[in-house]
Amino acid sequence: MTLRPVPIDGFSTPTSRTQAETEAVLLEHIPTPDPSTGEPTPKAALDKKLHMQFLVRNLVQGFPTRYTSQDASQPWLMFWTVQAFSVLQVGLDPGNKQRIIDKIMTWQHPDGGFGGGPGQAAHLLPTYASVCSLAIVGRPGPGGGWDQIDREKMYRFFMSLKQKDGSFLVAHHSEVDVRGIYCLLIVATLLDLLTPELLEGTASFIASCQTYEGGFSSASHPSYSLSGSLLESPRPPLGEAHGGYTFCALASWVLLQPYLASSSRKPEEATASIDVKNLLRWLVHMQGVEIELGGFKGRTNKLVDGCYSWWCGGAFALLEALGVGGIQNADSDEVPIDSGTGEGVWDDVDDGLYNRNALQEYILYAGQHPAGGLRDKPPKNADAYHTLYCLSGLSSAQHHVFPSKLRRSQLEAAWEASESLEEDLKKRSFTEFLSWTEEEGGSHIVGGNENRLNATHPLTNMTITHTEGLMTHFYKQTIPAKPIKAKPASTS
Amino acid sequence: MATISFDDEELFSERPDWADVVPLEQYENISPLAPIFYTEEYKDATNYFRAIAKSGEKSRRVLELTESVIRQNPAHYSAWQYRYETLLALLTASSPSGVISPSDPLLVAEIELMDILAVRFLKTYQVWHHRRLLVALTRKPQRELQFITRSLDADVKNYHTWSYRQWLLAYFGGSVDSTGDEDVSEDLWEGELDFVDTMLAQDVRNNSAWHHRFFVVWGCGVREGERDRERVFKRELTFVKQNISLAPSNPSAWNYLRGILKHTSTPFASVLPFVRPYAVVPSSSESAQRDIVDLENPPPGEGAELPCAEALEFLADAYEIQGGADGVKSAVEIWTSLANKYDPIRKKYWEHRIRDAHQALKKANA
Repeated sequence: MTLRPVPIDGFSTPTSRTQAETEAVLLEHIPTPDPSTGEPTPKAALDKKLHMQFLVRNLVQGFPTRYTSQDASQPWLMFWTVQAFSVLQVGLDPGNKQRIIDKIMTWQHPDGGFGGGPGQAAHLLPTYASVCSLAIVGRPGPGGGWDQIDREKMYRFFMSLKQKDGSFLVAHHSEVDVRGIYCLLIVATLLDLLTPELLEGTASFIASCQTYEGGFSSASHPSYSLSGSLLESPRPPLGEAHGGYTFCALASWVLLQPYLASSSRKPEEATASIDVKNLLRWLVHMQGVEIELGGFKGRTNKLVDGCYSWWCGGAFALLEALGVGGIQNADSDEVPIDSGTGEGVWDDVDDGLYNRNALQEYILYAGQHPAGGLRDKPPKNADAYHTLYCLSGLSSAQHHVFPSKLRRSQLEAAWEASESLEEDLKKRSFTEFLSWTEEEGGSHIVGGNENRLNATHPLTNMTITHTEGLMTHFYKQTIPAKPIKAKPASTS
Repeated sequence: MATISFDDEELFSERPDWADVVPLEQYENISPLAPIFYTEEYKDATNYFRAIAKSGEKSRRVLELTESVIRQNPAHYSAWQYRYETLLALLTASSPSGVISPSDPLLVAEIELMDILAVRFLKTYQVWHHRRLLVALTRKPQRELQFITRSLDADVKNYHTWSYRQWLLAYFGGSVDSTGDEDVSEDLWEGELDFVDTMLAQDVRNNSAWHHRFFVVWGCGVREGERDRERVFKRELTFVKQNISLAPSNPSAWNYLRGILKHTSTPFASVLPFVRPYAVVPSSSESAQRDIVDLENPPPGEGAELPCAEALEFLADAYEIQGGADGVKSAVEIWTSLANKYDPIRKKYWEHRIRDAHQALKKANA
């Protein structure tokens, strides 16, 4: 492995100086071969026990005073914690689950949605974190949380945030941004709240947030004609392409596909499109080079950070839903192509479009804090947020979860029709959402099987089991058991 | 004035002027998992905030209370939201016509307070959004530009600061139709290009500044003085080429170059004479040629580490677009060199590009 520094071209600037400092720190974490055995030292081991202790400490003893800055994000602290347990393959006992459900239900706002804590205003982000936490620890029936979610009021809350350009405020009197839209679409899909009225115009808003670089920004600014109708242009993105917003925008785009394909779509929405090729290019360029241990950065010319393992690394799985990457998208009559590399045969098409091994190494070597929990980069402290997104990113780099055509047709066949006016939209959303399947034998686990994590659903970042549990409840569907072996279906 | 220090301030529970309010505990009948260890001051202020939000009181003392909560936790969006609603109620009440006056002392004081808080809590969404709400009331965007320039000194790549600047320009400098407002005018944009130049001169790798440049020149419609688009394009092309020559391995500058070519539907092939010298290892005869000054195509600087991966990628894209068996062959050669030598971390991607190009060729020939 050549560890060439990122070129400075003899032209030093503040950006190249912080970059060089980071490279120097990361260099200390790159394993070196043991002189006697030749094995890389230290070993690429995920210290699951230590991270468990970190999570248990937060859950049972609580969070130190510096977490006061996240007092309005209490549902997030809970989601990051309980989902990190799930990724680590740890279940909670019924007593603690009940205490968590009881806490979450104090965040539900009397007028719908969830707030960041008791007595706080409803907000789209804590609404996602609350509902997803309930998917993990909750259950149907009295006291179980699921049936205590006020879906009608939640829908009205969502509609009260909708703007003329198809976007949504994150809360009343608050900003518009694509994080909120992602959170809304996930919750609305999980809880069976999708309607054309809710979704109209949102796809073109998302598309307008794509920047010339290929990634997505936080929001865009609308222009209106004198009569008040929305103009096609200018609709400039506010802020540069960014990993977190890109994940949220891309996931939203995927979540909107069932609507765009349904009979409910408005004719003028047929033209909404994003530049997938440019998006892929931007995403792959967010991966740092060897000297950065293959971690991801969130913006061009910024530093690598463990949380982008999920926001950027996790976005590649979403691209498969748009026909990019993955063996299921490869042409079935493909013949071996000689690239001139000497290997000639493309037997590893399903390996993904970024360097999955390098990303795993970044998390294992630089992302783990020696005292437990995971982090942005050394020498930073671990925190609840980075612990989950490093673990989810690691999981996503280990496994191949893809939209299975076979699974979708099984779900379609098992679909029990309802009386709903929006039957087509409902069925499409449900079957596409639950078609995501882990490829059997498709895992690549750096450091060996002891490092194995649970796979997560690329759209929700929950396990597929938790996602299915909540969704089948709210759509009143029973789904067929998974086939023993889920091999990606070929295009034929 | 609401700007007071809370360090040696009494708790709200000890203050006679708050004696009429019954504080509201956060978790009343449950002992929650995952608690946060709050300070006494924070618990006190938020207990009173919950009580006030529940009662719906919107008085002057609410400004003091919400300021206390915000100073201790600037991400407390409910405190911001309630503060804004309170301000609106007070401003409307203080105006005989019911129309909020942009020069109302309460509003002016609020902006001044925000000048302090924004710099202190640069990384929270709420300080910036509250500012947007206030400026939409005062309609005085000009002073904001200076404020932003100052606050970028503290953090030159702050996402919120940059997107606030862009919102401000788009909101008040709309070129589509004039709102007829006297504060809103084209000259809000006047210094914007100079401002970007200054930022990029400080750090040519500042991607936020490059994005801002794209926003200003291409993203917001066409303004007065910029109507000759061919001239604008040439100016931008020269600008980005010169900056690439300073520091070739700068993805921000290459992305800008790609961005403007695409935006104007200009073929990549048109800039190949500029790009080629960046994609090769210079020979001694070529360095001698540097004496010939070609303003259209500035050569790589003395310290350039060549070949530059961004230039190789650009060349390959241009060859792929050119198409045909020859074009694909040239592109594949470059992608192969990127995969194996110059950018091996992205090997899978370069292989994907090779595969894609071959398939496209196969389809075209079928």
